[in-house]
Amino acid sequence: MINLRVAVEAPPILEPLVVRLLAHEPTIRTDNDAVLLFEEDDRLEYDLQGFSLVVHAPSSNNIDGDVLLIVPGQPSAHRLIRASSKHNTLLVTERCDQLCVMCSQPPKSYHTDLFDQFATAALLAPEKAMIGISGGEPLLYKSRLLEMLGRVVEARPDLTFHILTNGQHLSAADVPAIAELGPERILWGVPIYAVDAAVHDSIVGKSGAFAKLTEGLTVLMRAGASVELRTVVLRQNWDQLPTLADFISSRLSFSSVWAIMQLEPIGYGRMNWRKSFQDTSEDFSNVARAIDISMARGQSVSLYNFPLCSVPHEYQRHAPSTISDWKRKYLDFCDGCSSRQACGGFFEWYKHGEGFARLGGT
Amino acid sequence: MTVVPFKFRKAVNGQILFTDDGGRFFRSSEAFLERYVYEALEDQDLAFLEVNGFSYTDEQDLAYAGFAYAFASRLYLPRQLDYIILVPTLRCNLACSYCQVSRVNEATPGFDWTDETLVSVLHFLSGLQTRTIKVEFQGGEPLLRLDLLLAVRDFCNATFEVCEFVVCTNLQVVSPEAWAFLALPDVSVSTSLDGSKEAHLNQRTSTVSATNRFFENLMHATSHLGEGKVSALPTIDPRHAPSPRSVIEMYASFNMRSIYIRPVNFQGFARKRFDALATTKAWIRYYSEFLDAAIVHNWEAVDHVEEYYFVHCLRRVLRAGHDGHVDLRNPNILGSGYLVIDHDGRVYPTDEARMVTRVGQMDLSVGHIASGIDQSKVDALNEEASNNFHPDCVHCVYQPFCGVDLIDDLSRYGRIDLPKHQTDFCQRHMAIFDKVFELLYSEDPRVQKSLAMWAGSQSIDPLLVKAHA
Ligand code: SF4
Ligand code: SF4
Repeated sequence: MINLRVAVEAPPILEPLVVRLLAHEPTIRTDNDAVLLFEEDDRLEYDLQGFSLVVHAPSSNNIDGDVLLIVPGQPSAHRLIRASSKHNTLLVTERCDQLCVMCSQPPKSYHTDLFDQFATAALLAPEKAMIGISGGEPLLYKSRLLEMLGRVVEARPDLTFHILTNGQHLSAADVPAIAELGPERILWGVPIYAVDAAVHDSIVGKSGAFAKLTEGLTVLMRAGASVELRTVVLRQNWDQLPTLADFISSRLSFSSVWAIMQLEPIGYGRMNWRKSFQDTSEDFSNVARAIDISMARGQSVSLYNFPLCSVPHEYQRHAPSTISDWKRKYLDFCDGCSSRQACGGFFEWYKHGEGFARLGGT
Repeated sequence: MTVVPFKFRKAVNGQILFTDDGGRFFRSSEAFLERYVYEALEDQDLAFLEVNGFSYTDEQDLAYAGFAYAFASRLYLPRQLDYIILVPTLRCNLACSYCQVSRVNEATPGFDWTDETLVSVLHFLSGLQTRTIKVEFQGGEPLLRLDLLLAVRDFCNATFEVCEFVVCTNLQVVSPEAWAFLALPDVSVSTSLDGSKEAHLNQRTSTVSATNRFFENLMHATSHLGEGKVSALPTIDPRHAPSPRSVIEMYASFNMRSIYIRPVNFQGFARKRFDALATTKAWIRYYSEFLDAAIVHNWEAVDHVEEYYFVHCLRRVLRAGHDGHVDLRNPNILGSGYLVIDHDGRVYPTDEARMVTRVGQMDLSVGHIASGIDQSKVDALNEEASNNFHPDCVHCVYQPFCGVDLIDDLSRYGRIDLPKHQTDFCQRHMAIFDKVFELLYSEDPRVQKSLAMWAGSQSIDPLLVKAHA
């Protein structure tokens, strides 16, 4: 597992500070760049506008180009952007208006507005980076978010964003602003759990959520946005997957991909594991039907977080490796598995005893 | 609640097929049709329509937007020019019975590209915006001018990022140099194999020794050029057709799984010699038998086959945006995605347009490679390129899946304003789509197995073939 925080000794600051760590003097140095002065064991000292910034990390190599968020009074900094990783996500708020049974990041009630810092961080990201934006629910702060995106999208034409949103806060008035950002720059990841509104609403813990969601998706469709629909497979929506496939491929066919996802055992997903985990290694049938319907209709489908050996052979081409590097692990029976390269393995916090019953031997 | 407009058609079993403008469909009964027409829909009808996205509450809701999106995504968007058909020579070393117009004898002078034509073609290619190109060499027999093929390929490889070349050859005489060309990784072969040895001999090679030579070459090509590099088309004369089973077995024996059966396309006088309508009827019957035979074959054999055009039509029924075939698009915008450059440097919007012009029916060329494309002529052809507002198609249940083939209408009837149902194009497509739906709604497991495969899926789920009482 890769650490998302590093210990720092920062100069005295009053406001949260965004810093990019550089091993060498760059051609153009920004005010946010800290350049390595010397390195001794795990103590790295950087020059930040004449002040000393000390970072405790095993080596300067694997943090070169990283962008940190240093909060006054906190002994460790967030690695907002890890330059060597493809999985960087900015958590813009921890507040949310839904309470999903599988939430991996259970919401909190307070909010600190760090959009300016996030914009600065994004502007310092390596070339062609794809930056995730998540929460909580990012669109609770819609105007701040759109403002930040507008700024970065214009200043850095090489960057793209992947925004995870519950789709509850979009209205027809947002169509021009979203269209302006450009369909090729933003991929909107939006969860949908069932076509039966009552089932969807109970999974997300909010009544009326499905109706709001269809409104939000209509806005994204009209804005010509790129959308990734996301469905976590649960015992609660297991028998709804075929009708959901029908719904998506006939009314939401504008979406670029439909992600059918296995449960992540963290947060509420961990707490509700026993009543929510659907063992698709034992019974794949409704996922298979969902894929068949989608394929016939030309709707592209991806299976996220499915260990390859849990997926029947004829469907394995739909299952790319998706678990982020910093939270991925393999189990003992994966040693010597010929599919390991192509397989995303397991979440770090997955407990095999309560998980997939039929694995190994692809 | 507003119900979207439906078009409908009776199927053989008395059930009625309904489609909307977005190509979404279901089957129902005569009684439902009456309730729909007389605006007497019952609660259970309205519930079915709502659940399946066939009705909406207001124009801001998802059902309406989804319907609009389904409609829009059925329309073909012209793309940049990235596919060129080249005819470097009209000379040929065979004289196939139905090919009198698109060839001349091997020794006839004056039917090859001149040096200037080659220069103009390369100049034209260099002006294209695309970074990827597909070049198809036709003839005549293009291998008679291997030098020109090599020159075009070298130029393309130096000009474009990704190149693909197809040589349409009769595989009759293949020199060692030609074999080397065909073996190149970016070159593939398209040939003709008329379903049975007898048919091939009768229609093409005329002597036993020439027939044997062809089969030897085909065997060499399929076994040496690599997986998927050789494709073949059978041309079928429906009046003397080989049995579907024998065609399938012949193709399977060469490891060719995708069979694109086509009726003999007589041109000019030959077409007038016999009753065209009767031939269309015979073809439709044969086509249906062929599909049934393929289904039986796939149930029993491990090496599965498909009929290429049927698969295309099936996929057009099930999904939008399946526009990969130049003969079936709506609108079928000519002169945009691909062009044909003839042996004399004249440019045509399609290969059929080249034939029509050659038999002297009318001039459908749209320019010359040296002087450029006559856009006003292309635009004139494209005025009638869509079936959305055609007075016959507008009522047709198959309109969202179907297309337009103006050049075919012009070539057969010399006009484009015949009632659609009298045209060969319409009759053939009506029959193909009838067959698509007959098979889609079939409960025969053998049919379902083939259909799923042809649809690119593992099963035909009941939710794909909805029915309402
Ligand atoms: S054995 Fe491990 S590496 Fe192999 S497919 Fe299964 S989970 Fe993946
Ligand atoms: S050409 Fe015939 S089959 Fe095609 S849409 Fe028109 S009427 Fe229907």
